[in-house]
Amino acid sequence: MTLKGGTSQACAACKYQRKRCTPECALAPHFRPEHTEIFKNAHKLFGVRKILRILEKIDPSQKTEAMRSIIYQANMRDRFPVHGCLGEIYHLQYQIRQAEKELYAVLSHLHFYKQQSPQQEITIDSSPESQLGMGLQQSAANGLTLFQHQQQFLPVAPFFDQSYNNNNHSGIHFDSMSNTGNDGMWLQQTYCNQNDGKTLVALQSQLLNTQPWTIQEEVTHDYDEIYPFFDTIDDTQSYIDSKDANESSSESSLKETTQSVQHVAGNKLKRAELQLGIVSEDYQATV
Amino acid sequence: MASSSHPSAPCAACKFLRRKCIQGCVFSPYFPPEDPTKFANVHKIFGASNVSKLLNEIAPHQREDAVNSLAYEAEARLKDPVYGCVGAISVLQRQVLRLQKELDATNADLIRFSIQDIDF
Repeated sequence: MTLKGGTSQACAACKYQRKRCTPECALAPHFRPEHTEIFKNAHKLFGVRKILRILEKIDPSQKTEAMRSIIYQANMRDRFPVHGCLGEIYHLQYQIRQAEKELYAVLSHLHFYKQQSPQQEITIDSSPESQLGMGLQQSAANGLTLFQHQQQFLPVAPFFDQSYNNNNHSGIHFDSMSNTGNDGMWLQQTYCNQNDGKTLVALQSQLLNTQPWTIQEEVTHDYDEIYPFFDTIDDTQSYIDSKDANESSSESSLKETTQSVQHVAGNKLKRAELQLGIVSEDYQATV
Repeated sequence: MASSSHPSAPCAACKFLRRKCIQGCVFSPYFPPEDPTKFANVHKIFGASNVSKLLNEIAPHQREDAVNSLAYEAEARLKDPVYGCVGAISVLQRQVLRLQKELDATNADLIRFSIQDIDF
């Protein structure tokens, strides 16, 4: 279907709906004619009316970003029909936990070395990479402090890991949240505070009982083009890497993760956090 | 998940949609009447018919997870109409990158330190 009096093609939205695409079409800027598959996913998840309703409530300057997030969300739901974006959030949080554990272990090693040979100075070069580990310029203990500091910045999806939640209900800020309307901590507040942990516990048990999602549920499609959304969001590579990694050890790692999450439910969560606090205090005290 | 102890109590979806909650209602196992907000949010963002179609395409044992993820995404979109849950993904990905860089730097320092230790 062509635009009235013009030679341009109808946008993917109007094509799909088999209607005339006018110059005033609200979806035309976001769905080029070749984006039929992308619109199909967005239509399947949200529907045209809901998309338009979301766009109506947004400042015009942010409509492009909003549409990108809608498209991303719809594509994720198409690839992962059961968990959608939440699966990616789980996976990222798992990666963060693993990285933090490893960082903690390495910092502990450094502390051990420092104790063994206190006369030695740590030689730090001035490259940007080493400056990121800036805590080490002073001591391994300060690096551990940095590690703890970063923990507070974790936005927590409601189901995954309660151990980071307990004292992070207020005063949370992100260092670079300029492109998000708010921080992610309200998600934790919604599901943990309002439901007194019932939803969390119920969902943790569900997580334990569900099959490994990363293996089973991905549905692969070839998209002609996926909008480059945020520069940092990489929805292809992360899935390729994660899928490969998870295929090799997903069931055991998922069970380990879910068992560890379940294990620290309820009162044990507070004990785990206290232990972490005590360990860190002791660590600092010995330096 | 039973929707209610009362056998004829409509689920939150049917209550919201003001229709009779029939025996095989696709929503009733996942939208108990005690939590009307959950369905209200999901309906507001995705629409009941879209959710129904999605659930029908998913195996029954996975529907609860699907509904919970939809509820999460719906609430995220209501709180942040521009980015929804994708904002959290962006933050987490940056966090992962930052941690990875820090881990690389720390490992490099550990190696340097251990080399110095050997030298002594």
